Amino acid sequence: MPDPNEPEGDDFFSEFLDDYFAECEEHLAALRRGLLTLEQFIDQPRVDDSLLDELFRTFHTLKGISGMVGLSAAEALAHEMEGYLRLLRRGERQLSQDGFDALLAGTKLLEQVIEAHRTQSPLPEIHAAVAALTQVTNTSIVEIETGPTESATTPGNLGKPEWRFLFVPSAARAEAGLNVNHIRSRLQEIGEIIRATPLIEEGEVTFEFIVLANPTESVLEDLRSIGLTFAPITSEREIETTPTTPFQPDRSAPASPTISVRVDLARLDQLMLLVGDLVVSRARLERNLSTIRNFIPSHNWRQLQEVNATLGKQLKDLRNDVMRVRMVPIAEVFERMRFVVRDIARETNKSVTVDLTGQETEIDKFLVERLMDPLLHLVRNSVSHGIESEAERIRVGKSSQGHIFLRAETAGELVVLEIGDDGRGIDLDRVAAQAPGIELKNREEEIDAAQLLETISVPGFSTTRDANRASGRGVGMDVVRRSIRDLDGSLSLETNPGKGTKFRIELPLTLAITDALIATVDGQTFAINRSSVQEVMEVEPQKVKVLENNEIIVHRDQVLPLVRLSRVFNLQDKKEGLLHAFVVGTGRRATGLVVDKILGLREVVVRSLNDPLTEVCGVAGATELGDGRPILILDARELLNGPQASVSSRTT
Amino acid sequence: MDAEKDRRILIVDDSRTMRRMVASSLARLGRCRFEEAASGLEAIERLVMGPADLMVLDLNMPEMHGLELLRFVRARQAYASMPVVVLTTKGDESSRTDALTAGANLFLTKPFSSSELEESVRALLQSEE
Repeated sequence: MPDPNEPEGDDFFSEFLDDYFAECEEHLAALRRGLLTLEQFIDQPRVDDSLLDELFRTFHTLKGISGMVGLSAAEALAHEMEGYLRLLRRGERQLSQDGFDALLAGTKLLEQVIEAHRTQSPLPEIHAAVAALTQVTNTSIVEIETGPTESATTPGNLGKPEWRFLFVPSAARAEAGLNVNHIRSRLQEIGEIIRATPLIEEGEVTFEFIVLANPTESVLEDLRSIGLTFAPITSEREIETTPTTPFQPDRSAPASPTISVRVDLARLDQLMLLVGDLVVSRARLERNLSTIRNFIPSHNWRQLQEVNATLGKQLKDLRNDVMRVRMVPIAEVFERMRFVVRDIARETNKSVTVDLTGQETEIDKFLVERLMDPLLHLVRNSVSHGIESEAERIRVGKSSQGHIFLRAETAGELVVLEIGDDGRGIDLDRVAAQAPGIELKNREEEIDAAQLLETISVPGFSTTRDANRASGRGVGMDVVRRSIRDLDGSLSLETNPGKGTKFRIELPLTLAITDALIATVDGQTFAINRSSVQEVMEVEPQKVKVLENNEIIVHRDQVLPLVRLSRVFNLQDKKEGLLHAFVVGTGRRATGLVVDKILGLREVVVRSLNDPLTEVCGVAGATELGDGRPILILDARELLNGPQASVSSRTT
Repeated sequence: MDAEKDRRILIVDDSRTMRRMVASSLARLGRCRFEEAASGLEAIERLVMGPADLMVLDLNMPEMHGLELLRFVRARQAYASMPVVVLTTKGDESSRTDALTAGANLFLTKPFSSSELEESVRALLQSEE
């Protein structure tokens, strides 16, 4: 037999690198969740066993698969952390602050190592982290509490009765989809599985699940119908009361390979492109249909038209389904932020809690990756600049603990994210000192949030006297704003001195296909994203008033400034007749974009114009309507701010 | 063993990547059909549905440890003679004795080399024939 310790010299397993990175991502997410839960057990005599098991096993698996792909730095790190957890699990160490910090730092480094390997960058140095882990593993010997050796398992479901479910697996049942994975997930829906074991009952292999649950009669009836037998367990056993944890220990096995498939995002992009092509082809079909209308009998034409309409509807369904496949819950991003907050709070000696809302909100996977950096920066800013020190908070009559909140929700075709804190708010005086001559308040002496955002987003802007570790890392608000803009989103800001600051990000659900309003100006066709248009209005030229160099109109008893697209793009103004306008922006930022004629609402496929040479302010991309001629898609928010300001910013 | 039929090899590991690596290493044996199980219960279910000619088994798995699975399998007449290769991550060597006592035919550690696994399994299958 060959020496089993000899790692493979060839690259046999390199073809599994994608699988490896994908699996690592899942494990790292589980570790982040687990470590957050673990923190509450620092210096406690006992840690939730299932939590330790889960963490131990996750490091163990990471070690195993990292070794297989030859990433020895990750293997070594995971090995050290696994070692420490093994001792915790056996009760030979008590979880110390140092130990926890070493685990946390080790996990972060592990993530960096894996990421570096993925991007083929130089690997970070792991020596110090390994040393810190060895240190806690070797030295923190503690008095072992000689309590009962019963596990400190956290049922977490205090008061819920235990139920015993029996399932007899068979080929026939498995063929009908009733396999152990299905049964397990059904039982997880009704409660917490605390044990699953195989037995032999009446000569047959039988799986026993012990579940903490309060099932209703109809739930039980459902379970009976899929072949489960069950009975409540009347047990004298006392259910221990340990703090409930949000952490869902993975007592059950991972999802079976048959339940879901992994798809490379690039393939989904490809699929979306194909759907996009179909949308264009259908538009072409529609166009051709209208040209032959007068040459065929009308009932034939109607039939064709009907088929075309059905096709359109089916395409829309297809597009929605493909889009849905790309959607993932934002929870992963949020959880990571929780981690970051915890970290910076520690570094800056502050006490901060994080509230997450709307974690189930789904966003395009593409957006997930690109949102990470801007969110990270906003969260960092909130903790290090927004939240005051504990002493200061008490002095101004706030609770000593600061609060950060992250919210997500879907609003029509948009995802809205809010990141805020209950800290001191942005110090206007300091901003003013850095940006002399800029008015940060409007005539009513209210903070002009848009102007403020504009000011702090100037590259290099900083009010921090000495860039501290937590924030001044060279990524400023300008980069945040830029990233959001690249995602076709908008960023706005609200700040209240002494009360806190809130950033709001609005993003399109998807970037590939969108509903757009089509309009013409001087014979040229333009499209504008429907979600950015508040309303469509007619403009009677005689009602337009000229004020200095600007045109305005009274609309809904408000003064609405007008911007003529013909002037933005150096085209001819329409000489006579009604004009039309898209109202974009809200409140005082509302503006009418004047066009000659609105043709209607169409589904358009967005082709981004990412060549920097063709990057024109106010143009979001290009599309075609089926006649093969490209038309420009306008970025309403950019147009609204005028060519000098390239990014949107408005108060909310 | 029926020489005409494909051999059925059951790979039990909670890591998807690892299952694929094992399958791909053993694919070079030829005439093999692979089945994967991510947990002990899933493995037992597969065995209930039909015997396997060989099982590759990870030890550290949630819900049911590999050793428990091995003991359960060995206690059944039908699977008592099925060759079992325990494949576990370095650091678990202390389980070597446990695994061999529980009835493992071979004990290998990860990281493994594909040829090493392939050769060991080939030898094991031949000795069974």
